[in-house]
Amino acid sequence: MRLTELLSQCALKNQRAFADLYGLTSAKLYGVALRILRRQDWAEDVLQECYVNIWNHAQNYAVQKSAPLTWMTSIVRNRCLDWLRRPQAEATGADYDIAVEAWQDDSPGPMEQLMAAGDAQALARCLQQLEGKQRQSIMLAFFHGMSHSELAGHMKQPLGTVKTWVRRGLERLKGCLSPEKA
Amino acid sequence: MRYSDPQLRDRLAAEYVVGTLRGRARARFESLLRYDAPLRRIVAEWEGRLTPLAAAAGEVTPRSRVWQGVARRIGGRTSHTRLAFWRGLAVTSTAFTLVLATFLGMAPRPELPMASVAVMADDKGQPSMVVSWPSMKDVREPHVRIKVLQEHPTMAAGTAWELWMLPRGQAAPVSMGLITTDVNQVMKIKSDVARRMGAGEAWGVAMSVEPAGGSPTGAPTGPVIFKGQCVRVL
Repeated sequence: MRLTELLSQCALKNQRAFADLYGLTSAKLYGVALRILRRQDWAEDVLQECYVNIWNHAQNYAVQKSAPLTWMTSIVRNRCLDWLRRPQAEATGADYDIAVEAWQDDSPGPMEQLMAAGDAQALARCLQQLEGKQRQSIMLAFFHGMSHSELAGHMKQPLGTVKTWVRRGLERLKGCLSPEKA
Repeated sequence: MRYSDPQLRDRLAAEYVVGTLRGRARARFESLLRYDAPLRRIVAEWEGRLTPLAAAAGEVTPRSRVWQGVARRIGGRTSHTRLAFWRGLAVTSTAFTLVLATFLGMAPRPELPMASVAVMADDKGQPSMVVSWPSMKDVREPHVRIKVLQEHPTMAAGTAWELWMLPRGQAAPVSMGLITTDVNQVMKIKSDVARRMGAGEAWGVAMSVEPAGGSPTGAPTGPVIFKGQCVRVL
């Protein structure tokens, strides 16, 4: 709950609280941006812009119903996806190799990391119940900012098939995570 | 597309959060979000479901220049790494500023009353930004005060927001300068623009989206997204 407190201090324009907030969250958010944008300079630009936005809009946080890190992560993810919308961002951006295979099947690495991450356990459990292709397409889209057509290219499958995997996967995730079914 | 269908709304929200909703569809969805609170709630639910995934992205410490850039843009002097040092000084700093200011003969003055104001609206007539300025005769450094009313203004990468004074008659818009995304800001303006604004020559103020660095031609080249009429209040 430390983050909530820091955010409300930021809403009061407390720069010290903001510096602490940055210290506690920037490595996480930078990791997120780096995965999606795959270029250090872009990820740095986006991160900088997002923290300025977080500072300016901290007072809006109170009205949101999400956890502070969720709120901040969504700001970064949305900005990254906006960034990829720029025409010049399409072709380039290969500083970081995508471990496409990493999310396939039941490879332990990242999934174990997720299990270890506290509040992600339920999600990790539900992800494991998905079919391999559904899981892989959701992970690639979420982590690496892949669009449907990029997914189709990477997974060497028709666009329609990939779209269905994402849609069905999300539906099943929702069902698995909903409290009535737990 | 019918955005009232609950299943469709849920699916779009999910694809928005997972990131597969792209391009114009994403932009359209975002503009819907601005006026549709229940839809925002559905998005928040999906963010709650999926964002824990981000924990598996791994942490990477950004270079210090990122923080320096942030601190500069929020107008802070806080050093993230040397915070402890400044903490000790904080207690005395207000008094110190006062003394220094008095010594330099410029005691921190109360905010000048604003003499004119332009409430700018977007193309749907929604108030989006307020620009106000003091009586230009009274100020040493001519400036305008800008307040952003919209909840989440986002400046697309590689673009800039340029403010324009719209002179009465048929004269061409005059650039006032580039603004930032800060919700509250003060922008210095050139003395000749200040003189014309002070003399009541402006009928309105507009904001356009320009390439980074501002309009290359000296006239608005991008879309004008906010516009408002000047009103003298003092």
